Amino acid sequence: MSVAAKTQDFEPLIVAFCCNWCSYAGADLAGTGRMSYPANIRVIRVPCSSRVSPNFILRAFQRGADGVVVAGCHPGDCHYVSGNYHARRRFSMLRRFLEFVGIEAERLEVHWISASEGSRFAQVMQDITDKIRVLGPNRKLRDSR
Amino acid sequence: MKEIMQKMRAEAARVLSSGEVDLVLGWEKGDLWWQSYPVFIENEKKAELLTWDLFCVPNLAKYLLEEIWHKKRVALFFKGCDALGFNQLMQDKRVDREKAFIFAVPCSGLVDPQKVERAGLHQGLLRVERLGDELTFVYKDREKKTAAPWFYYDKCLTCRYPNPVVFDFMLGEPVPVNPRERFTAVKELEGQNVDARFQYWQRQFSRCIRCFACRNVCPACSCRECIFDLTSPRWLGKATELSENQFYHITRAFHMAGRCVDCGECARVCPVQIPLTSLNRKLIKDIDELYGPYDAGVDPQKVPPLVTFNPGDPAAFLESKGV
Amino acid sequence: MQEIQKARLPQLWEYLAKKAPLYLPQQEDGVINFAPWQEGARVKLESLNTVLPPKSIVFPQWETYLHFTQKARELKLTPTKEPEGSYILFGVRPCDVAGITVLDRVFLQDPVDVFYESRRRCTIISLACNEPDISCFCSAFGLEPGFAPAADIMLWDGDKFLLWQSLTEKGETLTHSLTDLLEVPTPAETESVQCLRETAATVQEQKWGLDGVKERAKDMFNAPIWDSLYRRCLGCGICTYLCPTCHCFDIGDFSRGERGERFRCWDSCMYKDFTLMASGENPRPTQKERVRQRFMHKLSYFPAQHGLYGCVGCGRCVRKCPVNIDITQVIKEAGGSISCA
Repeated sequence: MSVAAKTQDFEPLIVAFCCNWCSYAGADLAGTGRMSYPANIRVIRVPCSSRVSPNFILRAFQRGADGVVVAGCHPGDCHYVSGNYHARRRFSMLRRFLEFVGIEAERLEVHWISASEGSRFAQVMQDITDKIRVLGPNRKLRDSR
Repeated sequence: MKEIMQKMRAEAARVLSSGEVDLVLGWEKGDLWWQSYPVFIENEKKAELLTWDLFCVPNLAKYLLEEIWHKKRVALFFKGCDALGFNQLMQDKRVDREKAFIFAVPCSGLVDPQKVERAGLHQGLLRVERLGDELTFVYKDREKKTAAPWFYYDKCLTCRYPNPVVFDFMLGEPVPVNPRERFTAVKELEGQNVDARFQYWQRQFSRCIRCFACRNVCPACSCRECIFDLTSPRWLGKATELSENQFYHITRAFHMAGRCVDCGECARVCPVQIPLTSLNRKLIKDIDELYGPYDAGVDPQKVPPLVTFNPGDPAAFLESKGV
Repeated sequence: MQEIQKARLPQLWEYLAKKAPLYLPQQEDGVINFAPWQEGARVKLESLNTVLPPKSIVFPQWETYLHFTQKARELKLTPTKEPEGSYILFGVRPCDVAGITVLDRVFLQDPVDVFYESRRRCTIISLACNEPDISCFCSAFGLEPGFAPAADIMLWDGDKFLLWQSLTEKGETLTHSLTDLLEVPTPAETESVQCLRETAATVQEQKWGLDGVKERAKDMFNAPIWDSLYRRCLGCGICTYLCPTCHCFDIGDFSRGERGERFRCWDSCMYKDFTLMASGENPRPTQKERVRQRFMHKLSYFPAQHGLYGCVGCGRCVRKCPVNIDITQVIKEAGGSISCA
């Protein structure tokens, strides 16, 4: 089987942790606006992007995710004032660290998506799905069982 | 070193007999040449057990977490690395500065028994002594002299704080600070491609037997309940399957981000020699690059970099490729 | 008695590996452990003990023994196939062979552990120690660094060659298939074995007398030594996981949706959750009880149950304990006597 054919067969599974106040509302807006985004995305609602612990991301990869998105409010807009600023440091560090232990950084993305950015939500999800489709399945962190 | 050892014993006896402290934590010599282990002395007559030699490597600070000492005042001896660990415990609000009476022991490096063994010098070895920068290996019927740094722990060769940063009483003179570059191994790995790095770490992590020595020895690992011990939810499965090992090591190191004092104890105790310092130092290096230089354990009043922020922080997760 | 030139060992390994999986001490990133032989393997026979004992082969750190699926209300259980037992362990030191015989007492007694039994069908080729380490004390338990009675084949290091003696029928059969590689040693070389055995026994400087230790150990439950030992214990699992005789295990499930598997994995009495009960009660509430348990088990409970000590004196825990908790100190406390040769 050629690489191209393999890539076509492969349907990535992508977990999107979305903050309740901005990005999850953004996803809602995408829905009510009837904008389509790939069915590969599994949205998990969290109170804030800073609620997302690195453990959540690692566990998602262990149990079959090929990519993970963390989405939160734009800097300055956090419902809890500073959650996304903390998240910014945490995931900047984590992404570099995953790359260091040999995991493609492209598998973890962080985006600021506001409640009014329905089309942006759809676009971000479309883009990461396309990227992961090219990158292929995550085999490095997946549990072998 | 003998002079400092005499002072240790005298000071220990003094603070115990005067009632200034209830307990002295130091090191005692074992039967074999590399054995110098923590000892707990409550009686001044036992102060003679104290030793200070080239193998006094265990950090004593973490024993302060034990509940039985909470109500007591404890005197303890710190090398430079130990003092950083103590400050980290202070920053994490796990120990009380007032309850500790700290003797500082400047340290110019300790001997790694594995290096002695690799050099084939261990058979029949009785003890190792140091004079200046020269080591003397003493056997039953002969002696061998050699340059000391050859046998120091790697962590000692890169040590940036050989003189304790926190103490009440200094034993001996401060030693010169002359660390080797500590990020060499990290930079080397950064230079490889992502798959080569994966293979490297896969090999390391697959050796892990999950003995938890790296966690238990770490002065920054002081949670009352550790995520790895939780049964509900069970974050870490007990099978040493590779992805579980990856989960353990990535999480352990990341939890230390901004709090690791780079004392190197985790790598020292690892029975299968996983280069844990490279994980820790990658995080230290990235913090330095992204948020400015920060040395954990130097100033317990400072806020660790991953529990604070600056509105102007870079969004480094937008890098097309992590550095 | 036969011999093989060391220069021909790679040939021997290649041949053996074709017959059955061959495990021998190999170095990876400076760590020597038993690993399957393959072309270009970095075999390290001369090092004494591997980091992990060969226990990790006959009783792996974790193994799945049951797969399960659940659909609707139907639960389907599929036991894992019994593991392959026809492999060869090469270069096992006599203490580690003795360690395996200790494990036998646990796993081959009724009810027999079928997984262990299957893996135990392996062929063990032991390599005698010429010069034990300062932290070795196998002789304390009546073992001989220069001989492993429970091995199938015994080897002695004669510098340029290995002397080869089969001890069992299984060993004999294997030896017969190697006629092209083995040679007949000269009478002087054959005699040198006796010398090697004697030297190895005398090099171990400390002469142990263990008379009455297991009886006295029985009364040590409330001895003060535990108070001084446990305080420095970090509660890590190095001593138990690196021990060739420690055999405690836990059973766990890994499940993903409708399917999953049940596995068994090593556990350690040094961990606080080892005896933690569902109610929250812990009969060994502090590290003191845990440290005591480990030593009492080795020196008192195991001998009482099985007639032999649960320690073979390999010295791994002595060498690797981060805070130098030393079983020989406990043995001395229990009345073990030492005289230096």
